[in-house]
Amino acid sequence: MSNNNQLTPLFEELKKVLEGKIDDDTLMKEVKKYVEDYGIDVDRAKRAIIKKYDTDATSSFVTADSIVKKIDALKGSEMNIDVIVKAIYVDKKEVNIRGTKKIIISGILGDETGTCPFTIWEGESVDLIKGETYHFKNAYTKMWNERVQINLGTRGKIEKADSTVDVPERTIPTSESREIKIGDIKEGVGNITVTGRIISTETRNINVKGESKVVYAGIIADDSGKIQYSAWNDYSLKDGETICVKNAYVRAWRGIPQLNMGDRCEVSRVTDNFGQIQEVTSKKTISDIVKIGGALDVAVFGTVVDLRTGSGLIKRCPQCNRSILNDECSAHGKIEPVFDLRMKLIVDDGTGALSAVVNRSDTEKLTGITLAAAEELAKAQSDMDSVSREIAQMIIMKRITIKGNVMSDDYGPMMIVKEASIDDVDVVTEAKKLYEEMEGAL
Amino acid sequence: MNARETAWRLFSSELNTATYEIKGADEKSPSYIVTHLGAMVNRVLIAGVLTEKENVGSGEEPMWRGRVQDVSSGNFYINIGKYQPEAAAAIANMDTPAYVAIIGKVRTYTANDERVFVSVRPERIIKIDEETRKQWMLETAQSTWSRLKMMKKATSLENATEKDLIGLGFCERDAKGIVTALDHYDVPNSATYLKTIQYALRTILPDNNIDLGLPEDVSDLPDEIEIEPGDTAHNSADMEDTILRLLEELDVDGKGAPRDELERRAEAEGISSMELEEISNILMDKGLVYEPNLRYLKRI
Ligand SMILES: [Zn+2]
Repeated sequence: MSNNNQLTPLFEELKKVLEGKIDDDTLMKEVKKYVEDYGIDVDRAKRAIIKKYDTDATSSFVTADSIVKKIDALKGSEMNIDVIVKAIYVDKKEVNIRGTKKIIISGILGDETGTCPFTIWEGESVDLIKGETYHFKNAYTKMWNERVQINLGTRGKIEKADSTVDVPERTIPTSESREIKIGDIKEGVGNITVTGRIISTETRNINVKGESKVVYAGIIADDSGKIQYSAWNDYSLKDGETICVKNAYVRAWRGIPQLNMGDRCEVSRVTDNFGQIQEVTSKKTISDIVKIGGALDVAVFGTVVDLRTGSGLIKRCPQCNRSILNDECSAHGKIEPVFDLRMKLIVDDGTGALSAVVNRSDTEKLTGITLAAAEELAKAQSDMDSVSREIAQMIIMKRITIKGNVMSDDYGPMMIVKEASIDDVDVVTEAKKLYEEMEGAL
Repeated sequence: MNARETAWRLFSSELNTATYEIKGADEKSPSYIVTHLGAMVNRVLIAGVLTEKENVGSGEEPMWRGRVQDVSSGNFYINIGKYQPEAAAAIANMDTPAYVAIIGKVRTYTANDERVFVSVRPERIIKIDEETRKQWMLETAQSTWSRLKMMKKATSLENATEKDLIGLGFCERDAKGIVTALDHYDVPNSATYLKTIQYALRTILPDNNIDLGLPEDVSDLPDEIEIEPGDTAHNSADMEDTILRLLEELDVDGKGAPRDELERRAEAEGISSMELEEISNILMDKGLVYEPNLRYLKRI
């Protein structure tokens, strides 16, 4: 099965790693024993021999083409590393990547030095068990949300580790509940404590594995933002009261984080000093929203930099309101379409860009082009696209404030705009402010 | 998630002096030009006066190039080809001079002597009014000033890493851009950028005697150039290699490669006929190719 051609590179490599710790004869004997006598594959044999003879190797040792590292030593730019880690939290889910469904596994890994989020991009045939220790091979790292993230792509491999890794309690994010402002909540924050005022409540019946269950849901807010919550237990939450929720966790739906109150959750009534919060729509930069993934009821101020196709005069099915290209609806067949007006904008604030879908009334308000005028223009030019060209002229480079919910898919963040206005900046005042600041600093 | 690249607001003095490019590993991952102030630029939002425009293509297949002056003597160089139909249609109907705003992608062009020139390929070019132009100047001045401040903060540490900067409150994008810029260019000369901001503020506030106390003669602007239009970001060395390869492939009978066939194949590789003309001249100068007759080009 094996021959010397296969053993020589292994021998040479081990000789380099174990320089001075083992003589050539013994090393060759060991190599033959592992590979030939016991049929151990080359990689594993290498690790085993290094472990046996190199007592310093427990911290980090060289393997064929990657290095075992501890979590606190990761920089976020490693191309090829190994880690031996305990799975602290594991979530297997289906995602849509450029139109293809895929199973990925994400969660949190830990070792003696710290914890770190991870993603396994080819998760179909992988099963990670919480609490078990694994050897991630040929992984790479990236910075994500200002944290190092371990990634395993197609070249990566996972094996159950022989040893176990101890993760100190304090580093496990799920072990203690962290206090957090609602505006800072994003996917993966772990176990959190939130104080907020109930803005709305509702009960929903949902089907869980064939069983009907009641979910208590609504919106909770503090002075930094709003979030949707859902609870399995009835805490008799009422509009206007302020609660402190301990041991809540966060799940994201299409990028929008949601607060979940599970069985371990503790709810207590408190008084707050938020003042009037219902009126406030929190203003955010696009990069902040991109970082979190989505947001409920936010305002963004930026410049319109593009008008996407699908903007302008469009046709809809009168029965289901779907937008259609010809006079045929995929659900209702041949129909008499009704016309509608909308814009799909790209809004860019210099920190990032998002797409924004603007309905008819706001489109009319922002561009001054009414639906009736648009229909007339299209008829006169016998070209529906003439409307979007006209709209592009009116809207590109305008500075606008848009409000609504932002969701994310694989193409980035998108806002369904509830309210929009053109907001010119007072150039003279702002320029004077800048001049004063610069004079003071120079 | 593939969020759209943000459109950077920067003056030509910052964009045109950038020479370092981070090339995307494949078609899907974007390329960035890194400026001296650490902006990692893939897309820009620029504005100014369209001073010149010229169709160097044909009526059927126009290829526009033009200049947009932002402040003082600074110019953006723009190229619009057939893959920017909306921008091409828009510029065709514009008179010069006119206030315009442009959203577009940046491209680099490496000249024979290895100098790097930056141009902008507009996705959108629209006419704006003077007030909108001032708004752009203000926003770009604010954005440039904030990069200057970040650069100053970063250089107050010795050999700051991305991690250090993130620790100081920088976002990931800014930290990466600044560390890359310091690696490749060293500490920037802030006078150039301050002078541009000063000019913008003087335009917005003509009656306020704006004076940031800078020495008057600062001229770090790159030489004026005419950029060859074309639809790719090929630099000339890449194009030379492609042309040499095509010459070998097309030379089936030892007579050389037929010019028209070469032109067709070059076009398919994203090299325009203008670029082909220039590259052939370079290769002839280098003594790598010759013309056995007018209709053929042959590798030596
Ligand atoms: Zn229908």
